[in-house]
Amino acid sequence: MAAGKKREAYIFVLPAFIYILFVLGYPLIYNVYLSLRNVDVKNLTKGGDVFIGLQNYIDLFKNPTFLLVLKNTFVFTIACLLFQFTIGFALALFFYQKFRLSGPIRGVLLVSYMIPMSVTGLLGKNIFSNAGLVNNLLSKIGIIGPEWLVNTSTALIAVIIMNCWVGIPFNMLLLISGLTSITPDVYESASIDGANWLQRFWYITVPLMKSSMLSVLMLGFIYTFRAFDLMYIMTAGGPLNSTDVLGTYSYMLSFTQYKFSQGSAVAMVLFGCLFIVGLFYLRLLSKED
Amino acid sequence: MKKIIGGKEAARDLRNSVIAVVLAILFLFPVYWMMQISFKSDAETFGKVLSYYPREFTVYPWLVNLQDKTFLLSLRNSFINGFLTMGITLLLGVPAAYGMGRYRVKGSSVFLLTFLVCQMLPASLTLTPMYLIFNKIHFLGTHFTAPVAIAGASIPFAIITLRPYFKSVPVALDEAARLDGCGPLKAFFYVMIPAVKTGIVTIVVISFLNGWNDLVYSMTFNVGETMRPLTANIYKFQNAYGTKWNCIMAYGTILVLPVILLFIFLQKYIVGGLVAGAVKD
Repeated sequence: MAAGKKREAYIFVLPAFIYILFVLGYPLIYNVYLSLRNVDVKNLTKGGDVFIGLQNYIDLFKNPTFLLVLKNTFVFTIACLLFQFTIGFALALFFYQKFRLSGPIRGVLLVSYMIPMSVTGLLGKNIFSNAGLVNNLLSKIGIIGPEWLVNTSTALIAVIIMNCWVGIPFNMLLLISGLTSITPDVYESASIDGANWLQRFWYITVPLMKSSMLSVLMLGFIYTFRAFDLMYIMTAGGPLNSTDVLGTYSYMLSFTQYKFSQGSAVAMVLFGCLFIVGLFYLRLLSKED
Repeated sequence: MKKIIGGKEAARDLRNSVIAVVLAILFLFPVYWMMQISFKSDAETFGKVLSYYPREFTVYPWLVNLQDKTFLLSLRNSFINGFLTMGITLLLGVPAAYGMGRYRVKGSSVFLLTFLVCQMLPASLTLTPMYLIFNKIHFLGTHFTAPVAIAGASIPFAIITLRPYFKSVPVALDEAARLDGCGPLKAFFYVMIPAVKTGIVTIVVISFLNGWNDLVYSMTFNVGETMRPLTANIYKFQNAYGTKWNCIMAYGTILVLPVILLFIFLQKYIVGGLVAGAVKD
């Protein structure tokens, strides 16, 4: 290709690339730098912060609150993945069938995914309140519901349920697009061979969907692990940090306690976990090519 | 022959459609729940019995919000957030997607990988450093601050979603334009953009929603209540309304309404975009 044409291409791509370098690349590096220093509200304007090595990280891993937050983040993510993936897959199998309303209704379900997460949090706060919808429904079948958002043992469950409500249609949508890539002849020859639906699912759908399932799970991990809005509005991380996750904890350190460097260190831990899963995801994508 | 199968198919079609409708009603019940509370009177909101619909329908909770000055400013700020994010995304994302879809140059896989990774970065990661940087360059508390940050995620999304669209436009189309004497810019605006209209609509809608739905950047970078969008002022209004859930839910419903309207009219663009942005090509 002519040199002039190459220059053209760069003219189109470079502005976006430079923008991304400024608003993502630079902050990302600055974050590493921050996490190795002791910047807080006292020395922010006056200066005088110093390099303290890995001290922020050491402090974090000695701090029982941080360890609880780390645990919450994993429990939250894994529980959400489990439920939103299985229910999403079941819905995908149903809506993958061709019937008149399959297209429109499958789209309508996505409304829960599209609305702002902060409103989902508001809604969760309402329906899980003591005299709210959930306990009202439970009382109709003779169960006295707990004070969901007041107990440290139930608050996270309520948050997980609200997050699954958002994640299910998204998982469904991605899995349907995976199912669409399986050619129907495979099924036809299998049903001629006398395989029932369970056998067809287990021996044909699952193996053929393996890479698509894996990529949905990894993507789900990446998007769930970073949760912030939902907890911030629904529980503010409480009661007693029982719904605090890395995102909210980092925010609280930086912007309510103004310990910027510690907030950065928590964000780095969040990044580290995402990075590992992200690498697997990118490898999977490049294998597919 | 066809008719016999048709009868059986029709029965199955009907059965599945009924199941689908029931599923949708159950699944979206929480949205209905929020809306019906927003039309209840105070007496009913604080009543002992939980009713599933407003027994005495009133728009008073909506009026409480719509007559509040801070609410109206927040509503305006939400629109500003949405439109500015959309503007920045289109301005930078569309040309980049074009450059990456139409030209084969060295380093294009590096660019692609960078954008793919950027799309996955959580706001929590860049929030603290961005705040300190913006503080240093006196860029906190403007209408542009949050959109500039939000666009950092929606530009990569736009590139990944639009690139395949540009790729699929026949080469003959721009060659013809070039032969007619169009420069690269003219060919881009008059030939390529119209050819990928569907993809552009997707980007318009999703980048607007990215700006509209944002909470974390807006509340961190804008401390003043009158500068914050609706999402970031939720706490303020919750404190003001106390347990007046009817007013809080009216607030929530107004915040959700534009999203639902966009969704009703532009569903196919949104759904297509979500899949394209999540799975490469």
